[in-house]
Amino acid sequence: MLLNRPGSKKWMTFAVMNALVLTTVACGSKEEAANNNAASAESTSPSAASTAPTNTASASEQPAAAPANQGEPLVVYLNDFDEIIKPMFEEATGYKLELVTGNGAELASRIEAEKGNPHWDVVWMDSMPTIDQMGKQDQLLADWTPKDIDNLTDFAKQFVPASHAYFPTGAHAASVIIYNTKAIDANSAPKTWKDLADPKFKGAVGMADPAVAAPAYPFVSWFFGAQGMDAGKQYFESLIKNGVHVYPKNPNVAKALTGGEIKVAALQESNAYTLKNSGEPVEIVWPQEGAPASVRVAAIQKNTKHADAAKAFVEFLLDPKTQQALIDQGEESYFEPSAKDVQPKKDRAADAKLVAAEAGWAGEHEGEIKQWFADQAVK
Amino acid sequence: MLRMLTYGNRTGWLVLAVLFLLILLPLAAVIIQVLLPGVFFGKLVMGDISLLLDVFRRPLWLASLKNSVLLGTGTTIIATIIGGAIAIVRARWSFPTAKLLDMAVWLLIITPSFILAQGWVMFASADGLAARWLGWTWLHSLIFQPAGLIAVMTLSKFPLAYLTVYTALEWKVDRLGEAARLSGATPWTVWRTVQAPLLLPAFCSGAMLVFMDTVGDFGLPASIAAVFRFPTLPYSVYSALYTSPIRFDMAGALSFYLVLLIALAMAVQLYAMRKSRFDFLTSRATRSVAKRPAKGTYVFVLGNIALLLIVIGIPLGSNFLMSVSETASGAGGFTLRHYRELFTGDGTLLSGLLHSLEIAAAAAVLGLIVGFLIAYVLTYSQFKWRKAIDVISLVSLAVPGIVLGIGYIFIWNQSWLEHIGLLLYGTPWILILASVAGAIPVITRIIVGAMAKVPAQLLSAAQMQGAPFTQRVTTILVPLVKGALLSAALAAFGASVFDLAIASILYPPNFMTLPVVINKAFEDLNFGYAAAATLTGGGLVVLIMAVLELLFRPKKKRVRSSAYESHT
Repeated sequence: MLLNRPGSKKWMTFAVMNALVLTTVACGSKEEAANNNAASAESTSPSAASTAPTNTASASEQPAAAPANQGEPLVVYLNDFDEIIKPMFEEATGYKLELVTGNGAELASRIEAEKGNPHWDVVWMDSMPTIDQMGKQDQLLADWTPKDIDNLTDFAKQFVPASHAYFPTGAHAASVIIYNTKAIDANSAPKTWKDLADPKFKGAVGMADPAVAAPAYPFVSWFFGAQGMDAGKQYFESLIKNGVHVYPKNPNVAKALTGGEIKVAALQESNAYTLKNSGEPVEIVWPQEGAPASVRVAAIQKNTKHADAAKAFVEFLLDPKTQQALIDQGEESYFEPSAKDVQPKKDRAADAKLVAAEAGWAGEHEGEIKQWFADQAVK
Repeated sequence: MLRMLTYGNRTGWLVLAVLFLLILLPLAAVIIQVLLPGVFFGKLVMGDISLLLDVFRRPLWLASLKNSVLLGTGTTIIATIIGGAIAIVRARWSFPTAKLLDMAVWLLIITPSFILAQGWVMFASADGLAARWLGWTWLHSLIFQPAGLIAVMTLSKFPLAYLTVYTALEWKVDRLGEAARLSGATPWTVWRTVQAPLLLPAFCSGAMLVFMDTVGDFGLPASIAAVFRFPTLPYSVYSALYTSPIRFDMAGALSFYLVLLIALAMAVQLYAMRKSRFDFLTSRATRSVAKRPAKGTYVFVLGNIALLLIVIGIPLGSNFLMSVSETASGAGGFTLRHYRELFTGDGTLLSGLLHSLEIAAAAAVLGLIVGFLIAYVLTYSQFKWRKAIDVISLVSLAVPGIVLGIGYIFIWNQSWLEHIGLLLYGTPWILILASVAGAIPVITRIIVGAMAKVPAQLLSAAQMQGAPFTQRVTTILVPLVKGALLSAALAAFGASVFDLAIASILYPPNFMTLPVVINKAFEDLNFGYAAAATLTGGGLVVLIMAVLELLFRPKKKRVRSSAYESHT
């Protein structure tokens, strides 16, 4: 009848095809999910399995397969080691694991948004102040003691809260000093944090923005926490006066350093070693005062339906064998383990001294300090 | 007539309900956080309303607001002029390499702005490609300042104006122009007094799209911020959402100002277009055919190539160089290592890509259906809430994806939904819904632009003959706006594949999507891998779009104006 018939037929074809696509997509996602579950149940990565702790002391106490809620996997929110932890844990305990990966802030945001109906069982990330606050807001399972707790190093023990709401699994420098060896020789390189305010590095220093980058907050909060708010502000004002470049995140800092935009940087430890190992002309300095630490902690959601698996996961993370495997094979493998008898990376400085602000204090003042930085930046 | 009106009303309510659920409710949820911070967690506490005034007190927020207004206005003006002008030239003249321009426009629309920005940063930063290879050390200071940002933004956003104007030029009524010419008007006068005014809605739609996409854009200012501090509203919203302590109330307050900006812009547009009628397409309409210029073809070709080199060559070329460079600094020679890595390893990229394609396809189809109905109601019905539909259908363009994402969690993660099987959070469906919400503005604008020219009389006439709604739509409306439908679906598909903001907050466990994989690579300093993944994923999307375009784009020769004349 009216108008161009061929066109309308083709339209119908288009519509039908679209409908088909739609149904396939719907099925696809379901199948995908099923496959994923199947894959996670069977997943055995040979390389990880061979070094995974196949027989921990607890293996005999733990059931080989999850007894309760068997169909449901343990959901872990984490910001690193996602590539190796899943097969390692499943192989060692028989529990199934599902991971949600993101940077610390993304996960914290997700957890906060899910507060009414949490989807996570365990959170494992290097934002101790944030998790400490979650504990104080009664979101975490407290008063449970993992069996390996006495095997923590003295350094790690100081981070275990009285409530036992979370446990440290390692710590890494939120910032070390790193410089471009093409621009600066070893003699004139900065040795201490104070040196970064030296006029000879005017306009040549870079750091990540504590208002944006997750690891930058543990870095700056130590100055405020250890020396007091005023001294902290004074120190960073002296850096700002000296023309410090503030980049949104650590990778931006790294790029500015290798690109020659800056000569010296306060850079997160793993980023720094990655640069050095990839052959960039950089050298790492562990400052005499110590490098402010970002502590990675694991915590269990208060109302988790998978408490057994969650506890098994935390104990698994505190196991020296697990930590050794993370150091040997993980991507963010430059850190100080929290368990005794674990060897850090060989090229990680032997005199690596870590310092940290008290978690409770850092958590309470987080908003205030970050706002101060954000407003400084636009002045 | 009465039946047609009630039908319009029913569709109107349906569309309003869908928009409410997809866009308004999640957005409202985030803004409600300002007033009642604990309401979604079962606590009723009054919030601090003075937070809304903080935008004038806190230096960062005030700077963000000012920067957003500056960037939005500047980009809108320049991008609309440039995009519109190129569209007119392209619709009028055919020349070799013109097809490349069409492809470039699509590429720019589907490429996420953070990739484009990354490319510009690699090119123009102090140690960038321009400085190292061409010795253009001046470029750095030229780009990394407000005017430079507007320029970069213009080069990334002009396709929205181009596409809207170009689609509007698909049909033309030569009689109007011919009448003017017979009365002695010069071609310029004809263009100025006849053609240009008829294009006004297209220009306005294009400008609105550019404005909203610019003020709502997070990726570009964020990437540029790595070199040059220029906080904008979306950036500050992002900081509030993604910085501990998480402040949903602050994000809500800032989003409120983003929505306010859009409302203002829309008021301006409504004022400019009031009282005019634009449904000029009559039975005498012909499909416009680009002609070869009588002379000076080479001018078009050279101009086109120069344009493409700047808008595509610089941002995507820089990404390409990064993807084949051994190290992040571009030193150390060339390698294909990053491309090999995509296909070895644990296959996260491949599954991420598949997930993204599935979600984008579903979002394009659903979005097309919703968008078509919205456009229908806006154009033909007397539905009294039409203006509201118009406003809501545009809002999600301006509101940063992360804000909508948080809103989606609030709405779709209520524990009671579990009992009725609608706990969509944690399933891929929520990504599809959110992608539809994100795609609706573009889809709607493109279709409305095309429908604006199809007069309601064509449909009424068919109705008089007894043709039911579906028949009227499928035999009259759809064929006339088919080109626009295809454009809309492809735009939605392309844009959804790379939607990072929504994906990063909503993706279910074990359900990686392409942008999440790419972003993780960026964060892990694997610039080469990220660039290779972007180009591979982007290339595949372009391929799919090109195939669909070939299959479904109306063949120009088959549809002749004579067909209309004899039948209508």
